[in-house]
Amino acid sequence: MSTLTAPQTIVGSFTAEAFAAQLAKQKSAPAWWLDRKRAAYEKFVSLPLPKRTDESWRFSNITTLTLDGFNVGGRAGISTEAPFGPAHLAFANNTLTSRTPLVADLVGRGVIVTTLAEAAEKHTELLKAHFMAQPQKQGSEKFAALHTAFVADGAFVYVPRGVEAGAPIVITHSAAGAGAAVFPHTLVVAEENSKVTVVDYFVSADSAAHFACGANDLYAGHGAQLTYVAAQNWSRETLSFQFNSTVVRRDARVQSLNLHLGSRQARHESLSQLAAPGAFSEMLALTVTEGAQEFDQRTLQIHQAPNTKSDLLYKNALRDTAKTIFSGLIVVDPDAQKTDAYQSNRNLMLSDAAEAQSLPGLEIQANDVRCTHGATSSRIDPEQEFYLQSRGIRQAMADELLTFGFFEEVLNRLASEPLHDALRELIKTKFKK
Amino acid sequence: MSQLEIKNLHVAIGEKEIVKGLTLTIQSGEVHAIMGPNGTGKSTLSKAIAGHPDYTITSGEVLLDGKSILELEADERARAGLFLAFQYPSEIPGVSIANFLRAAQQARMAEGEELDASAYYKRLYSKMDLLKIDRKFTSRSVNEGFSGGEKKRCEILQMAMLEPKFSLMDETDSGLDIDALRIVADGVNTMRGPNLGVLLITHYQRLLDYIVPDHVHVMWDGRIVKSGDKSLALELEAKGYDWVKKELAAATA
Amino acid sequence: MSQPPESGTLETTTENPVVGIDQTKGDFQYKMDYEFDAGTGLNENTVRYISSVKKEAPWILDFRLKALKTFLEKPMPTHWATKDLENINFDKIRYYLASGQKPKRTWDEVPDDIKKTFERLGIPEQERKFLAGVEAQFDSEAAYSNIKDLVAKQGVIFANSTEALREHPEIFRKFFGKVIPTGDNKFSALNSAVFSGGSFIYVPPGVKVAQPLQAYFRINAENFGQFERTLIIADEGSEVVYMEGCTAPKFSTSTLHSAVVELVALKGAKIQYITVQNWANNVFNLVTKRGVAHEEAEIKWIDCNIGSRLTMKYPGVVLKGRKARGEVISIALANDGQHQDTGAKMIHAADETTSNIVAKSISVGQGRSTYRGLVHIPKNLKGCKNNTECDALLINTNSRTDTYPAITVRGDRNATQHEASVSKVNEEMIFYMQQRGLTEGQAMSLAVNGFINDLARQFPMEYSVELKRLIDLEMEGSVG
Repeated sequence: MSTLTAPQTIVGSFTAEAFAAQLAKQKSAPAWWLDRKRAAYEKFVSLPLPKRTDESWRFSNITTLTLDGFNVGGRAGISTEAPFGPAHLAFANNTLTSRTPLVADLVGRGVIVTTLAEAAEKHTELLKAHFMAQPQKQGSEKFAALHTAFVADGAFVYVPRGVEAGAPIVITHSAAGAGAAVFPHTLVVAEENSKVTVVDYFVSADSAAHFACGANDLYAGHGAQLTYVAAQNWSRETLSFQFNSTVVRRDARVQSLNLHLGSRQARHESLSQLAAPGAFSEMLALTVTEGAQEFDQRTLQIHQAPNTKSDLLYKNALRDTAKTIFSGLIVVDPDAQKTDAYQSNRNLMLSDAAEAQSLPGLEIQANDVRCTHGATSSRIDPEQEFYLQSRGIRQAMADELLTFGFFEEVLNRLASEPLHDALRELIKTKFKK
Repeated sequence: MSQLEIKNLHVAIGEKEIVKGLTLTIQSGEVHAIMGPNGTGKSTLSKAIAGHPDYTITSGEVLLDGKSILELEADERARAGLFLAFQYPSEIPGVSIANFLRAAQQARMAEGEELDASAYYKRLYSKMDLLKIDRKFTSRSVNEGFSGGEKKRCEILQMAMLEPKFSLMDETDSGLDIDALRIVADGVNTMRGPNLGVLLITHYQRLLDYIVPDHVHVMWDGRIVKSGDKSLALELEAKGYDWVKKELAAATA
Repeated sequence: MSQPPESGTLETTTENPVVGIDQTKGDFQYKMDYEFDAGTGLNENTVRYISSVKKEAPWILDFRLKALKTFLEKPMPTHWATKDLENINFDKIRYYLASGQKPKRTWDEVPDDIKKTFERLGIPEQERKFLAGVEAQFDSEAAYSNIKDLVAKQGVIFANSTEALREHPEIFRKFFGKVIPTGDNKFSALNSAVFSGGSFIYVPPGVKVAQPLQAYFRINAENFGQFERTLIIADEGSEVVYMEGCTAPKFSTSTLHSAVVELVALKGAKIQYITVQNWANNVFNLVTKRGVAHEEAEIKWIDCNIGSRLTMKYPGVVLKGRKARGEVISIALANDGQHQDTGAKMIHAADETTSNIVAKSISVGQGRSTYRGLVHIPKNLKGCKNNTECDALLINTNSRTDTYPAITVRGDRNATQHEASVSKVNEEMIFYMQQRGLTEGQAMSLAVNGFINDLARQFPMEYSVELKRLIDLEMEGSVG
């Protein structure tokens, strides 16, 4: 791990040699993938690190975005047990370590849950069409390119037309060993009128510093219903990036919920493209901070077609000297009339030294729209606190109840009761310790 | 048997004195009603006794079974046996009634002791049935999106579950239609008995048709200016508060 | 862009290509003979020339020269602002002109040219009389003033910047350039180098100025930049209302207006600063406005922006003393070819300070309105509150609005709340009014006036009437 004062190099540990070594391991990958990787590496090298004056990095701590001291070729560690039940695919240090097969019925109906490597072999056209196909334009182009260059495996979930995949498909990505660099990737393709729930769980096997640079691509075809939950629980020393891209087609609905618990500094960029009439994207996030953690969340809701809907609710609970940044933008393209867009950022201030930045933005180019946003930062409501205390509940307990009440508004949006409970338990492990 | 004594109590909000020397003693089993026009300090009295941080007790005493409660925090007063039924109960988003009441029950148990969940739910459901509260309510957030009547019934439910020694009921009748009022009054009447003392705070006599008080006090400008039995409430209803005002003026002239 | 009009003639009416708005109403210009002229372009000589014409003290020249250096060094803020800024050609701007007249005291002494301009503006007779009580800036120097005699009886100093810095340096020097440092941004630096005109006001302790102090600014020469400088100091417990309004003749090449306005409200003082601005469609209006509110003081900016090619203006309040209050009430209307980039800044720097921002914008045709806000509550403060409300109304299908607030809160003892909404005019309401016999345009005008009504009411009567007239004019032809 480099110190904060050391000069940052533009590639850090991700040198040309490291890239070449990594490429050499992917001999059997199709040429188009390798070409994309080479192009991405070139882009990564050519782009500068973020600067303080970059608008998309406003308020972020950019001095700690070091790429030095990490190790790409680390050995596979052991997978960690997921709180969401057995993982269909478990990756540790970028390598598949275990898998739980899908039920035969779903396999028979054409549902695919496999690795990217295998998908590249067996479903190459599908993978080519959706893999890292969306633009990254929220400030982390360099890191997204790094991901594309180095990602060698990950999860591929495909649900064919009209199939309902039932119980959540669980994928875990873990990092182990000091300096481990991981590039988790999950690609979900839900075809016409299908229905699927996918859970990504990001976890460190130890408390060492890791580098996590992940991406997830969600594609919901005509009338599809896709629920995606990502629970990020990296070690407290980890520097993490996660890029989400969601494409919602006609009458489709995507619900995504990101729970942020871990990392020293975590940047999450989320892009939702409402690509055809009737599309709906619900974007949810919960962040529970402690210590000096920094969570940097950048969201973009792009309404590209008329009669589309998006609803964003990002809640942050701030403790100690933690810092959160929420920067969101709703974009309504000129022809996207009858857009219904909502964006809300709520910060619960639980400490006198915490810092919340809120940048809720709108860019509206159509007039027949309903677009609203709101941002609030405040402590626990003293009247609510008094009400609880007047029932004999001690202040600490009252505050805990109210804080969990604050989270519930987000968790309640999930239809799945077990998922809801699992996430709440995860929060408890952090909050009550 | 318990006793709640309020002795020459003075309460201020900020710099402004609202309650100006109020004295009242309530025994278990008694129902006292405090009546008075708006702005006379009735709600201030109940909030101050419950320990709301915005209200400063500038002098006087509040004793529960002979011990002062004024140094206690709001939650300690509640566990000592005081219950405040709020005029405007807070909405608590994301905290279900079931969880909330569990936490309140748990807080009353000794360290390390665990609440018996099945017994708790059994008790909760029986109280809910009594108050005609739909069981689905247990999973709803406390007071969130409740109608006025639902909020008041939820207050009574909490009172029934927490079994206080003394209940301060602040304008419990406000905003209730006659059916809701009857349900709330029935609830209170069921709990009435030798172990509970009640202080009803109300502007109107209407509530007292349903919860018949043992004692009625008239509050004016931060003090009790007249006390009597339930007939005083009827007299007030007939003659209006101006009557008290005139009497008061005559007495001080 | 149309051809430059001949001097002394009214420009012929041009049809707006998009929505058919006649945007030339109120656009005119008369030939003026300028006694002093610094020529076009900006260098050290320009600055020395301005300072020497004004017979300034050496410290002011020094201030100007340092500012020039800062201006030349500072980049354009185009990493976040619109690229349109790059179209300003600083070499083609005249940085100083003065008609060379001494400030006038009575109407009779006002030059006929200027009276004629008032007439052309369609200012009614009684309003012209009203203007006789106004400190009117005509081009770079105050051409007319007499209200100052009236307020002087209360000990109020109301002078133009040159006069104030010359005659009352002991009062003004202390605060001049302190609220908005020269290097605050490129345009505050430019203003600091070449400023002329504007009002300097000092209100002694406890004095409540009964009538609003006023100034009208007009740009009236091709390629003519205007860089007025205003400084208002309200001493302890005093109160003052200042109003400025602008209507400008239309010019064919870009014109730059770049003012700096500094307000200082000492303990318990109240300042209200009211602006109704209607620049011509070719004006870059890049204004820096900021006030410092000391303990229990109150600063309120009421700001209405109509017209200009690009306005960038974010009035701010630094809440420096305990219980200080800051408020920005903002109305913006952007029509075709216009970008209203406006907003507010609230910097909380003491306990129990409160701030309130209400911004409403209307975008017509291809007009674009942008709200940019900054609310900053640093650590170790308690009891601070901010409330922000932004509402945007979009009239046509291709109208545009943006909202970019930035809210920083540290600690758990403060509270902020930001709400914004975007909507269009209710079609049912328009139909209802049409059914009652109003034209669609009239109905739209009424609806838009209704949208801003609660804010417009905060303007003094004559301003809210003027505002309504301007909105009616802007809304003509926005439909159909």
